[in-house]
Amino acid sequence: MAYTLTRADDAMAADNARYPLGERQRVEDPLDQQVHRSVFTGKLEEVLHSAVNWGRKNSLWPYNFGLSCCYVEMTTAFTAPHDIARFGSEVIRASPRQADFMVIAGTCFIKMAPVIQQLYDQMLEPKWVISMGSCANSGGMYDIYSVVQGVDKFLPVDVYVPGCPPRPEAFLQGLQLLQDSIQEERRPLSWVVGDQGVYRAEMPSQREKWRDQRIQTTELRTPDSI
Amino acid sequence: MSVATPNDTTANDAQADPVVVALMQRFGERAFVEQATLIGMPVLWVARDSLIDVLRFLREMPEPFNMLFDLSATDERLRGNRQGLPDSDFTVFYQLLSVSRNRDIMLKVALAESDLEVPSSVSLYPNANWYEREVWDMFGVTFHGHPHLTRILMPPTWMGHPLRKDHSARATEFDPYTLTVEGQDKEQQALKFDPEAWGMRRGGEDSEFMFLNLGPNHPSAHGAFRIVLQLEGEEIVDCVPDIGYHHRGAEKMGERQSWHSYIPYTDRVDYTGGVMNNLPYILAVEKLAGITVTDRARTIRVMMAELFRINSHLLFLGTYLQDLGAMTPVFFTFTDRQKAYEVIEAITGFRMHPAWFRIGGVAQDLPKGWDRLMQGFVDWMPKRLAEYERAMMENAIVRERTRNVVAYSTAEALEWGVTGPNLRATGCNFDLRKQRPYSGYENFDFEVPLGGNGDVFDRGQVRIEEMRQSLRIIQQCIDHMPDGDYKADHPLTTPPPRDKMLQHIETLITHFLQVSWGPVLKPNESQQMIEATKGINSYYLTSDGNTMSYRTRIRTPSFPHLQQIPAVMRGGFVPDLIAHLGSIDFVMADVDR
Repeated sequence: MAYTLTRADDAMAADNARYPLGERQRVEDPLDQQVHRSVFTGKLEEVLHSAVNWGRKNSLWPYNFGLSCCYVEMTTAFTAPHDIARFGSEVIRASPRQADFMVIAGTCFIKMAPVIQQLYDQMLEPKWVISMGSCANSGGMYDIYSVVQGVDKFLPVDVYVPGCPPRPEAFLQGLQLLQDSIQEERRPLSWVVGDQGVYRAEMPSQREKWRDQRIQTTELRTPDSI
Repeated sequence: MSVATPNDTTANDAQADPVVVALMQRFGERAFVEQATLIGMPVLWVARDSLIDVLRFLREMPEPFNMLFDLSATDERLRGNRQGLPDSDFTVFYQLLSVSRNRDIMLKVALAESDLEVPSSVSLYPNANWYEREVWDMFGVTFHGHPHLTRILMPPTWMGHPLRKDHSARATEFDPYTLTVEGQDKEQQALKFDPEAWGMRRGGEDSEFMFLNLGPNHPSAHGAFRIVLQLEGEEIVDCVPDIGYHHRGAEKMGERQSWHSYIPYTDRVDYTGGVMNNLPYILAVEKLAGITVTDRARTIRVMMAELFRINSHLLFLGTYLQDLGAMTPVFFTFTDRQKAYEVIEAITGFRMHPAWFRIGGVAQDLPKGWDRLMQGFVDWMPKRLAEYERAMMENAIVRERTRNVVAYSTAEALEWGVTGPNLRATGCNFDLRKQRPYSGYENFDFEVPLGGNGDVFDRGQVRIEEMRQSLRIIQQCIDHMPDGDYKADHPLTTPPPRDKMLQHIETLITHFLQVSWGPVLKPNESQQMIEATKGINSYYLTSDGNTMSYRTRIRTPSFPHLQQIPAVMRGGFVPDLIAHLGSIDFVMADVDR
């Protein structure tokens, strides 16, 4: 599996450096080298990574942050009918410092972008970003002077959830996809052990994964009856 | 209060209007130019020099025009069809509303591009403040004598005035957005609050004030809303709301989407209101097109709009009580919302933004079995509402926390342009569904719930009652849904009725043209005001005989509601502000558009 290696150097960023900060490069799974060097330490490290990641992915605390319409569907996922607690993410935090991931739920406005960046910077590592809805993904139907055409113009996004707004179920699926990708991550096990960089797995495209199954559908339900 | 229904006003009718007659007597006939429109109220052009006198006359006459309903502008430089109107590059318009007369009047002031200045009307109508700032921000028109004329919707570092015709509309016409470390610092610095700029002192006689920045991201701010508090201890000495973090350019968007393809954008204005937002826009377009819709289409529209009213009020109720500290109700009300969405989805195929109304009708007929589903929801709700009332509104803590908190009178509400349930909580019986029935509301039997104190409690209680009345309306729709077509048989119905389109080549061509280029409407102006979920929402459309609108003005209720906050919060406490924010029921898209 291919990985993206990010080395954080935010503190040393120059004034004219563009967000998202940090240097990114495409690499192979860092564990592969370990396995070739010593099977025993390689395995040990794999077990450790997977245990830590298992803990991380099952207690993701969301940041209570919303911009527009999508936020209503996001909070719907937090309430009884959809019950996000099934996935361990019900501990909604009002402070960025206590949160693990941020959902950009809504339109990213030019006036709001520096504020979003500041809030993202205030979150502690490890942290992730879900871009929820067409506006956050690409600007969507708002190709207009006041809207940033996609939050990934300045934030590193882990999962994109399509829809305008996406259903709460779609948001929950996005959360599960984030969990899957966290399971494959390789982060330093401590600040003295191993390579100090974040290795993010390149997860398969959902569109390609489901395409064959989806095009099997030839008849859609008629809207004339319920 | 008498229920009068003003019909479409033509120039002849306008002369018979007692207000116009009174104005002519006072200022002379030559002081005004009348414009015949489909707006449904007298439209008078006045000279800039006499504007303030005319406004004062209307403000102080018997049965006065006590509300500045709307104030905005139009860039007329590219408008082709304006025969008989005074020369104007930019037109500033004022719409005044008189509750006791149940009438409106619109005043227009013509400005030349070289001299874009109008006297400020803040001293007559305090809510002109934000409207004038918006006109300055969007058009670059200055208001002489305005206390603080700065940008309101765009960032302070913005260049240009977006609603001018020569300003680019698309983000993709500009350089792609980038954010650098330096740019981030600069923008954040520009957003920093400067008390001196607002004429605020940093300390009292023997204490220093604290300035607390609440928002633009705060769990109680209901979206991207910022308010800066000047605090002495826990007491709010003064506060400054700061908006514009949710400006999606909905008005500019209307100038490039066809009449038909703009419908989805209206859904996203008050994003908890769904198809309720389609209604004023569609009704205004139908006035321009001269379409009379069928009874069935009207009743379907009323039913869906009322269902969305319940849905929006349920969201209000849950978050309002959550802001007061009650965690559980939001889980209950969202369960009810899910039930409502099951019905909405079965009928429209979408949850929040169905964009389901069409010019001349609705998107499709009701599916088989809709009445059983709808009846299930109508039967489910009353016992839930009774439970909320019993558990929360009769709860001693909630009552203590909300009664006589942030109360204001009817006069204060009108002065600040407050409408909807927030106005009715003060005891003012003004509901457009009764006062100026549209879309067939005159055929329904329902009551208008009123409050008495205009406090946080009343604003919650009125909405619970409104849900009951909406259920009554929906029940009447289920029982008496008229037969017939769901679309009007009119050449401008978009898209045209499907069975005809499949049979006639003429209709097929029309169908193709209307969905590709869009329907062409004759040059005119029209407006429709409706009682939306949060107050009075109106669309003022100007057609220049094209496939899209020349100017789309959206008057939203939440904008004045937020402007009013400092006037009622001075001397209050921070927890009361949070209770008040919960009770206003606003969404930021309904403020910034």
